[in-house]
Amino acid sequence: MNTRPSLFSLTFSLPLLIWQLAFFLFPLAFLVALSFWTVRNFQMQPDFDTVNWIKIYSRGVFWDAYFRTLLMASASAVLISLLAFPASYAISFKLRDSVKRWMIFILIIPFFTSYLVRVYSLQVFLSDAGILNAFLGYLGLGPYPMLNNTFGTLAGYATLCLPLVILLQVFSLNFVNRDLVEAAHNMRCGRLQTVLEVIIPSAKAGLVIAALFAFILSFGDFVSPLYLGGGNPPTLSIMITDITKSGQQWPRAAVVALTMIATLLTVAFAAIKFAYREAGK
Amino acid sequence: MLRKSTHPSRRALLKMSAGAALATPFLSIRAAAQTVNLSMLAWYGHAEPDVVGEFEELHNVKFTPKYYTGGDNMLGLIAQSPPGTYDVILSDAEYVQQLNAAGYIEELDPNDYAFDDFFPEFQQFPGHWQDGKLFSVITRFGFLGISYNAGVLSEADAASYNIFSDSRLTGKLGHFDWHLPNLGQVSLLNGNADPFNLSDAAWQQVQDSTMALRGQVGGFFDYGGTFSSLKNGQMTAFAGIGDWITGVLEKNGANVRTAIPEEGGLQWTESFSIGKGSRNQEMARKWIQYITSPEGQAKSADMAAYPAMIPNKKGWVALNEANPGEAKRQNMVLGQNNAIDLIRDGRIKYRQLPGQQSLEDWNDFWSDYKGA
Amino acid sequence: MTGNRNPLIDGLLKLHIALCLIFIFAPIAGSFVFSLNSDRFPSLPLGSFSTEWYRLIWEDPLVWAGFFNTLLVGACVAAIATLLGFGGAYTDFRYKFFGKTAYLALALLPPTIPVVIMGLAMLAFLSRVSLSGNVVSVIIAHGVMCSPFAMAIIRLRLSQMDPDLEAAAWNLGGNEWVTMRHVIIPFTKPAIYAALFITMAVSFDEFAVAWFVSGLNETLPVKVLGFLQGQVSPRINAIGSLAFVSSISFIVIAQLLMRNPDTKTP
Repeated sequence: MNTRPSLFSLTFSLPLLIWQLAFFLFPLAFLVALSFWTVRNFQMQPDFDTVNWIKIYSRGVFWDAYFRTLLMASASAVLISLLAFPASYAISFKLRDSVKRWMIFILIIPFFTSYLVRVYSLQVFLSDAGILNAFLGYLGLGPYPMLNNTFGTLAGYATLCLPLVILLQVFSLNFVNRDLVEAAHNMRCGRLQTVLEVIIPSAKAGLVIAALFAFILSFGDFVSPLYLGGGNPPTLSIMITDITKSGQQWPRAAVVALTMIATLLTVAFAAIKFAYREAGK
Repeated sequence: MLRKSTHPSRRALLKMSAGAALATPFLSIRAAAQTVNLSMLAWYGHAEPDVVGEFEELHNVKFTPKYYTGGDNMLGLIAQSPPGTYDVILSDAEYVQQLNAAGYIEELDPNDYAFDDFFPEFQQFPGHWQDGKLFSVITRFGFLGISYNAGVLSEADAASYNIFSDSRLTGKLGHFDWHLPNLGQVSLLNGNADPFNLSDAAWQQVQDSTMALRGQVGGFFDYGGTFSSLKNGQMTAFAGIGDWITGVLEKNGANVRTAIPEEGGLQWTESFSIGKGSRNQEMARKWIQYITSPEGQAKSADMAAYPAMIPNKKGWVALNEANPGEAKRQNMVLGQNNAIDLIRDGRIKYRQLPGQQSLEDWNDFWSDYKGA
Repeated sequence: MTGNRNPLIDGLLKLHIALCLIFIFAPIAGSFVFSLNSDRFPSLPLGSFSTEWYRLIWEDPLVWAGFFNTLLVGACVAAIATLLGFGGAYTDFRYKFFGKTAYLALALLPPTIPVVIMGLAMLAFLSRVSLSGNVVSVIIAHGVMCSPFAMAIIRLRLSQMDPDLEAAAWNLGGNEWVTMRHVIIPFTKPAIYAALFITMAVSFDEFAVAWFVSGLNETLPVKVLGFLQGQVSPRINAIGSLAFVSSISFIVIAQLLMRNPDTKTP
């Protein structure tokens, strides 16, 4: 629109740029440089050596962890989105405005309770002799192993992401044009058809962004894989901690980190492009 | 009873919030401002009131702790912090070597510390000395063996590391997530007299024996995860830990023990160093003197966060006077077959960095093992 | 909305909401119960009733210091991140310019960096410019990490705005500043509040980067990490429960305050 930046446009665009340039560009550059450093005598030394990249990329265990993490984060994004959608739909379309507002506030509350605390508490629910299995045992079922495996990790991801995903979905569903929905009903569209063909397309941006957040948070999280997954099998975030345990091998951890960043950035841009394509109109 | 404590009277509540809430924390913060501030980088618990309280009063010092949750995070933190940020640093012997190699700690004067009171085994502890120079003073140690749930396994079961392959432990064997103690124990099982100094053939055998255990493993845990999974019965036995975990759990009523199997156990140590460039070296020295004195040692042995044995012989005497129960529980009673005899009988080997392979080789294998 | 109502489906949907809420709040409720339980390591069956863990945190000056640090950091971070995020979101919404992809990448990158390594990198930078080891360092690091959250939330709201609305306001003679004040900001207000809350919450909960950069001036989540990883003390549950109760009261108050202007404006 504007060819020459106005004072107005700079007022809004520059603060973020300046802040990130001042406080984030160096750490990021440091991270890139670090991946070429070497470690001698347990001390990191500035260097320009591709040994870390070669070493990490040539290890099968890295790629196993990479694809496992990718798969788990995708599963987390999809499952949590599916789990959240009926709730978001009901909150947005079926509740009175005052109840809706309270619901949004209730969903913000979990963010203020430490994720670590919640995960630690979840251990007591999921363990073999824990609350859930005791309850299932009462019904004559189980015990089911729910801790120290992928189920545990995914339950942890859900604890982390579900409130945020529901919130973001509700925000976007709230602004689906009600007339459109009404029109669909008048044309005798079934409920499911209305949801699939009217509501989901017009709330697409928010739904995709919500799933994207779930993906990003799950991909990088190390609390759930460690405390609920038992590090068994390890994800990339656990691998980063592992690598540092060979005597200050932060440079190799940086290689893993940069690979994670590149992956997430690719996914994020693809998702954003998909989300805002023909959106707004 | 329950009702009364959950619903205190309005007056009591007001008094509580007005008095305690405002006075206590602020007073202590203000008081702290007038005294010497000594920063300590340590595992959790070393700067808690039960250990440092008396020293703080004696010397008008206030400790500011920075607790780490892994030696490697600790090294990373020091490497990137301005020199002198941390006055005293507590670390395991393996990390003292790394701290020293990287130049993060000050040289100490051996004459400042009462090494003569120590058992001879601890007077020249490897890793703390470099070319005849002292860099760190040992303050506690402990043994690593087989930690097990005594409701499931018997003492006889835990007499050999072979129990790790037992069918009762399938999916119930936990690892403390650090390669050195776990691989060291497998090395002992393989009969290596010097478990960390392995020829390439012996190292290959250790890898094979370890990999054979992979199906047994229920998880890899950090400090906190180890505690809770032993306590709630999720794991029946653990490799790579010792009484520093099970001792705490025992005190909290869990039926768990650590046994030193016939193949032998490993030994960990914790020692204090002074951070390079510390501005409170004098007080830091006084602290190390205090915590290695008989009184300090007796406190240290029974530290609330986790118990440990102590290297000072006079400390044993003090502990036996002050707290005979704990001295007995930790097998630190003079004049009978005790922990030091276990060392002298050759049943205990130092946990240390690998001698013939690089640390990376060991760690890489550990990653492969975890990912397998 | 009156088109097809099916009480059974509506009922099932509401049941689903309830189940989601139970899943979200069960761990919090559990933590509250464990905080009042005498056992250091919570497991079934529970031990006896005890307020010991509350007493311990009450009497720990470092917990209080951490608490005040956390509040200060959270408030500053919420304000900074929301301001930055608003600007970023509006820029993305309104302008097309050379290097926009790079601008967006820089703005959205921080949450993609694994926190452990981000902590080390941040500390490496901050200590070189003598900003490490205090509350300001945490504010800087959290500002970087939280602004993308604010930006995403506000950007989402802006995408729901009719693009003609802004143009219409200009046609009516309002300049950009006036339009911003009377059209854009009121329209994005719910998202701005949401961004304030969520960035503050993210900051309240962040311990990994804060562990590295805070040095000896730790925030509460770093303390919680120590209590959990170092000692598995139920003090974490006591702190969690207090945080929960105070955030509820905080949110209820905010809710009540925000309701009044809403009902007054037509």
